[in-house]
Amino acid sequence: MFGVGGEILWVDMTKGKIEKVPIDDDLVSKYLLGAGYLSKILYDMIPAGTDPLGEKNVLGIATGLLTGSMFPQASRHVVAALSPLTDVWGESHAAGFFGAELKFAGYDAIMFTGASSDPLYLNIEDSKVELLDASHLWGKDVFETDDILRKDHDRTFRTLSIGQAGENLVRFSAIMNDRDRASARSGLGAVMGSKKIKAVSVKGTGKLDVADPKNYLKHMDIFYERMMANPFTPGRVKFGTTSLVEMMQHIGRLPSYNMKQGVFDGYEKISGDAINEKYLVKARADYSCLQRCGRYTAVRTGPYAFEGGAPEFETQSSMGSRCGNDNLESVLFGHHLANQYGMDTISLGGTISWAMEAWDEGLLTAEDTGGIDLSWGNAETIIKLTKMIALREGFGDVLADGSAAAAERIGRGTEKFVMTVKKQEIAGQEPRAQKSMGLAAVTAARGADHLYAFPVLDEAGFDKEIKERFGEQYLPEMADRLSPKYKGIMVKECEDFMVMVESVGLCKYGTQIPPEFYYDDVALTLKIHNGLDLTGAQLQEIGERIVNLNRLFNARFGVTRKDDCLPDRLTKEKAPLGPSAGEVVELDMMLTEYYDVRGWDQETGLPLKETLKRLGLDN
Amino acid sequence: MTELKFVFGDPDICSGCMVCVNVCSMFYSKVIGPTRSRARVVRLEPALDFPLFCRNCEDAPCIDACPESALTRTSKGIVIVNNRKCNGTGACVEACPYNAIHIHPDTGKAIKCIQCGQCVDRCPADAIFTTTTVDLAERDKDGRMMALHEKHKDELYPREAKN
Repeated sequence: MFGVGGEILWVDMTKGKIEKVPIDDDLVSKYLLGAGYLSKILYDMIPAGTDPLGEKNVLGIATGLLTGSMFPQASRHVVAALSPLTDVWGESHAAGFFGAELKFAGYDAIMFTGASSDPLYLNIEDSKVELLDASHLWGKDVFETDDILRKDHDRTFRTLSIGQAGENLVRFSAIMNDRDRASARSGLGAVMGSKKIKAVSVKGTGKLDVADPKNYLKHMDIFYERMMANPFTPGRVKFGTTSLVEMMQHIGRLPSYNMKQGVFDGYEKISGDAINEKYLVKARADYSCLQRCGRYTAVRTGPYAFEGGAPEFETQSSMGSRCGNDNLESVLFGHHLANQYGMDTISLGGTISWAMEAWDEGLLTAEDTGGIDLSWGNAETIIKLTKMIALREGFGDVLADGSAAAAERIGRGTEKFVMTVKKQEIAGQEPRAQKSMGLAAVTAARGADHLYAFPVLDEAGFDKEIKERFGEQYLPEMADRLSPKYKGIMVKECEDFMVMVESVGLCKYGTQIPPEFYYDDVALTLKIHNGLDLTGAQLQEIGERIVNLNRLFNARFGVTRKDDCLPDRLTKEKAPLGPSAGEVVELDMMLTEYYDVRGWDQETGLPLKETLKRLGLDN
Repeated sequence: MTELKFVFGDPDICSGCMVCVNVCSMFYSKVIGPTRSRARVVRLEPALDFPLFCRNCEDAPCIDACPESALTRTSKGIVIVNNRKCNGTGACVEACPYNAIHIHPDTGKAIKCIQCGQCVDRCPADAIFTTTTVDLAERDKDGRMMALHEKHKDELYPREAKN
């Protein structure tokens, strides 16, 4: 096959053995690479009853078929394992340069099995691959680790690592790469920590041969022109995702005060405009990225001074509005600290905001917190707890297992303020203001998640795309964010597409928002880059197969319809304020429609036999 | 004498996406790979991304260094490598003060930027441009760009460059 590294590294951490295995073309034809390939490998290897932090868990890091290609935003890799946060399918993705570099070294994926008793890191220099002692790196943060590895080897190496949070098995710790890129959700940093893998450093001096070198650049020029001409691109360059704060405030979808409401009085203070005005240094891109949503910011003075990559909308919402915090410098610094320690800012902010509401309700006291004041908007507390969680100090140790586990431990009625699905904190989309996001959060394989489906077509007037993708008969309801109608159909379609995108290594920006590139564009690129003959329809079927396989994985760990639920607040309590006041998430009707179009059993929520047969998953 | 042109980039504007690097390796070598590219991008903190190309030196030490006389300057002022003469000795690589010449791993011949402009046309950030010493002084009136290049020269042009 063209356009890939060609081999997978199997690293047995128990025995310290490394094996190189060619990628399996048959598996690629059914699952592509990236998320799909890992879905199949891990499904085959992780039985029921596996301890996510035990040596039987398997951690995969994989590039997509187009990672390292010239397609716009082809920068991504995926990590997957049984999640220690949710105890179900765990998956997370990041951009950066690591994935492309791994391909240039000749590898498409790294599979870690077993666990080491001493800290090690994997160093890859083309064909030379070795596990090296990492005792000098253990205890170091992500930036220090990157500095040391690139000093010890060469500045041109790319690194992926965990910080102290992953070492300390914080259940929402991230796997970081290229300093400030995060595979943050699902707590897979802790899986890496449990195996005592501190880092992977990679240098590849190879090349990617493509299937159609003669016409490659000509096609890429057209893709580049389309991406650059898209009306979303200038805004993306200017704001990244930071201006979503303003947009979401205007539709009442900005999670505030632990998702009690979708509007926040202090929104302007933490907005994209506020960041640009005073703190933005530069827009930064990842490999092959034309949209450069990455932000590089600096707070020059005061207690929150720092300089580096930060932030994006999710952090503004999770460490800002969700905690009632309008102190922007603390939000920026908090994001920076989370990167430094290696943590998911969504679950971090979600967990702190749970504690703040419990405090506000009088259910948590200074006795529980060791004297820390958890009043809404206490920026100092948010920063202090960020450190304490990463290092598992004091009350931070309780929060380090996530809000669901913390509430279970504390009890006293704090459980009702847990805003999670399958124990993962809901991201920055208050679903009462966008119904599709409520459904997507419950159907996502990795627990609460906006990205598995990323159903944004009802968010910003994409009527034209809805018409093209689904047909005119679904308008206007499908495009109406407050209508639950047809959202099962939409979320299903978006999931199939998005898992396919994660399996080829492209970004959701450019494929889903803005919806510039679709199946046929990916099919064409797989042809000229990899030499694969797959139609758009076949790619859709592969996406569907991956979603069903993820569901089967979760079924093994006990997931059924009963687990596809939202906190009562979102389905029973009307949104109290703002443009979406009075709304609840009509989850049951959407879920029923979703199971129906998925071919899943209405009672169990599991794939029907004929569905599995149709997708070749019945053996 | 023809004014010598070269491609130059603004490290404050460059986003580090490497599109220029990939365009170059695809255009000339029909593959994707930084080691097959005549352009480099180096990311340095804080917040700098340097797109790097042949500076087309007036005294061009690469020309003098080549034992095979494979490097010459054309009438348009571009320093080119004659592939029939190049033996891949690497003398030009050693001589280049800007680490802008490399031996192509597949052909064994020296490669360098010849100011063709393919990358300039496609840079999504408009961070790179074809310029001359006079033009650059005009564009960079306060000397910001040049100062950044000068300040980081040890990291940008390491003497023991690894290919």
